[in-house]
Amino acid sequence: MSETAAAHDAPTSTGIDHKKLIMWLFLASDCMFFGTLISTHLLYRKLYPSGFTDAEGHQRFIQNLFNIELTSFSTFILLMSSFLMALAVSAMHKGEIKSFRRNVLGVIFFGLIFLGCQVFEFTHFYHQGLTIQNSVLGSTFYVLTGTHGTHVAIGVLWLILMYFYSFTGKLGGHTGALDVEVAGLYWHFVDIVWIIIFTAVYLVEYLGPNGFWGTGLPAVTK
Amino acid sequence: MSHDSHHAPVASKLELAPERSDLGLIRPDRTTGWTDWLTTVDHKKIGILYGAFAMFYFLVGGVEALAIRTQLIRPDNDFVTARMYNQLFTMHGTTMIFLGVMPLSAAFFNFLVPLQIGARDVAFPRLNAFSLWTFVFGAFVLNASWLFEFAHLAGWLNGFEWHKHLAFTDFAPANGWFSYAPLSGTYGQNGQALRFTGVGTDFWIIGIQVLGIASLAASFNFICTIINMRAKGMTMMRLPVFTWMTLITAILIILAFPAITVALIELMFDRAFGANFFNPSAGGQPILWQHLFWIFGHPEVYILVLPAMGIVSEILPTFSGKALFGYPIIVFSGAVIGFLGFAVWSHHMFTTGLGPVPTAAFALLTMAIAVPTGVKIFNWLGTIWGGRVRFTPPMVLSLGFIWMFMCGGFSGVMHSSAPADSQQQDSYFVIAHFHYVLLGGVLLGLMAGLYFWFPKIFGRMPNAPLAYIASGMVILGFNLAFGPMHYLGLAGMPRRTHTYHAGNGWETWNYVATIGAYILGAGVFLAFANLAWTAFKGKKCASDPWGGRTLEWSLPSPVPEYNFAQAPIVATRDAYFEDKHGGKRIAYENDGGEAGVHMPSQSWMPLVASTGFLFAGFGMPMMAMGVPHAGWIVITGLGVLILGIWLWAVEGPGGYMLKTPAASGSPAPAETAAH
Amino acid sequence: MSSSPEAAPSPEFLAEETRRYHHFITLALWLAVVTGAEIVLIFVPVSMPVVLTVLSLMSAGKFFAVILWFMHLIYDKRLLFWIFVAALALAFATFTALLALFSVDVLDPKWIS
Repeated sequence: MSETAAAHDAPTSTGIDHKKLIMWLFLASDCMFFGTLISTHLLYRKLYPSGFTDAEGHQRFIQNLFNIELTSFSTFILLMSSFLMALAVSAMHKGEIKSFRRNVLGVIFFGLIFLGCQVFEFTHFYHQGLTIQNSVLGSTFYVLTGTHGTHVAIGVLWLILMYFYSFTGKLGGHTGALDVEVAGLYWHFVDIVWIIIFTAVYLVEYLGPNGFWGTGLPAVTK
Repeated sequence: MSHDSHHAPVASKLELAPERSDLGLIRPDRTTGWTDWLTTVDHKKIGILYGAFAMFYFLVGGVEALAIRTQLIRPDNDFVTARMYNQLFTMHGTTMIFLGVMPLSAAFFNFLVPLQIGARDVAFPRLNAFSLWTFVFGAFVLNASWLFEFAHLAGWLNGFEWHKHLAFTDFAPANGWFSYAPLSGTYGQNGQALRFTGVGTDFWIIGIQVLGIASLAASFNFICTIINMRAKGMTMMRLPVFTWMTLITAILIILAFPAITVALIELMFDRAFGANFFNPSAGGQPILWQHLFWIFGHPEVYILVLPAMGIVSEILPTFSGKALFGYPIIVFSGAVIGFLGFAVWSHHMFTTGLGPVPTAAFALLTMAIAVPTGVKIFNWLGTIWGGRVRFTPPMVLSLGFIWMFMCGGFSGVMHSSAPADSQQQDSYFVIAHFHYVLLGGVLLGLMAGLYFWFPKIFGRMPNAPLAYIASGMVILGFNLAFGPMHYLGLAGMPRRTHTYHAGNGWETWNYVATIGAYILGAGVFLAFANLAWTAFKGKKCASDPWGGRTLEWSLPSPVPEYNFAQAPIVATRDAYFEDKHGGKRIAYENDGGEAGVHMPSQSWMPLVASTGFLFAGFGMPMMAMGVPHAGWIVITGLGVLILGIWLWAVEGPGGYMLKTPAASGSPAPAETAAH
Repeated sequence: MSSSPEAAPSPEFLAEETRRYHHFITLALWLAVVTGAEIVLIFVPVSMPVVLTVLSLMSAGKFFAVILWFMHLIYDKRLLFWIFVAALALAFATFTALLALFSVDVLDPKWIS
């Protein structure tokens, strides 16, 4: 899990570890990445507020499709996984490897629950008639949340590998703590992206009688 | 972490005992020849490889350009078919930008940045190797489309079942380097994903995606290196300007490339899975592709030009015998250009009907960019002014850069005026403009850099008379080729048309332009041949043949693998120059010598991980062709990528200690110690 | 940048980690509360701009709380904070501009001829 020995051989010019700096640079870059995806979704919501037409030819509104209880639950789960990740990093700093393993196992478990919720949500929406192919809404929604889900899945994979690696005894000391902290930064970032998505993609659909974007129809027909 | 830098220092890596990584495999530290180049993590060797590949692709792109000009030499010509013409200009643009200019700039970043900041390597040596090989495989995938195209034209593919079902048989990309939707996208409803183009577009999508990953990884590495690995005393405002421009370029890359990454993902979903991002028949907005492309594409223009500006900012002071005039202003202007570069993307889209307010805003912001650019030009002139100018080949090319780049800048300001732009859009005037910037600017700058640093890279001096002749041919041929295009454009000749009829008044200047292009091509070939010959057979030269100013000239040529026998401590900007001609400005730390310096271990894993992109890059277009089981190639590729990264992570960093020549024993001067 | 390699953590360092531990717990509770409040808020019948403003502020609050405490930016060097916030600001500005450029609702017929 370590890139260069120079990382702890020589002090850096800024006093920031290379790995931590490069992860922050990556996250800075990822802001533009998710910014592009989220804005793609939002501008199509703005252009086509009326939702989509399902396989039977019925006009469907996004409010009737979304399941805010499920999404709130998975949001809560992801926030709590972020909390456990912070504790795992803290445990590593203190050198408490057992506590680290407990917490990171919790993060992995919560991450898997989040992914499970997403799989359920995708299947549910698919059966309701929203596909990646039948509307722009389907394309933007699935690709945006799917990309976020891919990020979560990569994070889960990373943490699983790290969990097992910790049993080799090689994950320890300053380097080990740094490696865990960098993985933690990635995990928290995935969490804050979801904080934005939760508000910008889900919650705004419930504002007022017809959601923030309206229905695109002259009168309220819902 | 059980990393083994504990064994005794050695004088050469060939004396190392075989060492096993944490995986139990022997580390390829002691290799020579091919395996050494394939597993190297040395930034200098990686830089040389980047440079060699870039120069090769420059020639490939040049041949494509000459084919285009040959087609246009006379009206109603049929040297190539219309389809081949489209493929030629698409691949010419893509090759020159992504496989020529960017990697050649990356070659300079790799070779020079650690030397200029007084470091022994980059922050992440194995990640650097990963960037290189990912670029190599991305470039290979993109150009493999030509192999499929030629195989198709030769009829070799006719026997395959999948080939008979293809709706379109263009295998090389033919959408232009920007691949505008909907031409590159789809139409039809409910996931029909009917296409306008063949698999060339798929090759383009995956090729650019892979090249983007290479650029991103390299840029993270370089920002980290520049911010974090400066020698003692090397404050940010003492960095050589080339290093500064590298930093700004890398920042632009990490912030601009995500937009194209997402746009390519969306386009890939449209084509492969029937999504509707840019599909007009299902409500998708093709204009969104233009926005996302230019959110990336405009910063990309500065990604191309800023390194060349950095190179010129190193060469002009050296051969004028003066310090760079207004160093802080040059740095600040570079940063402002980079920042404004994100705020002007829509000036590529004036004719799409943005509305009066956005058009006016983008026009004004675009004009504003002329200010920092002009400031730089005046600073360069101020540097030459009153100097003792030596007209060496790099200097001649740098002066050519200033002049030609300025001409390109003038026509650029003309475009920034939206009403004028709507006349010039898609005409040869635009071709003239950006070739003055990219060829007269960037290529001359990069060639100047090659002639300037070749003696440092190989310890051999390029043949000067040949260099002068080549420079003259390039500058003359270039003006002959692209000067007339200003006129052709204003006379109404449209871009991207494979031929034109006689009687429009375009014949003469097209003829002249083609002659110019041949002279230019011969000049570039001569210049590169001279360099290639120099690398192997050139006359050996001293370590500081030009009277250089920055730290790399303080090292022997070729530079030893540990770079600095003792880590430098600098007391001022241009410390090496002042150290030579005035008081003591460089001290050295008490490291190295018999105790040795730490060297990173070589590794196969970056190459293994990158190979995943080769599989995925071939598999995706083959899926689009309908080749059976091609999906498994993609899955294999992703598997190889993940496996490579995992093995890389657990093999441990390794490393060994290399002896360096002992310190000369001069104590640090008092004024240096204060910094 | 707080522990020395392979050495046992000092008491001050452990005290600092314990203090952070309590911060993390407090923050986790706040995150849960604010998320709960968000879900309630969207069903409260007040005017949409008000709800939208409050929602945005809550979301931004959670975002910055996580990057400052969970991601240690409040404890780390300032440079990291500015790197991230600069990129965030650039992304926000760029995509706000992009959304504004797709303003179909203010299309003035006099420009269509």
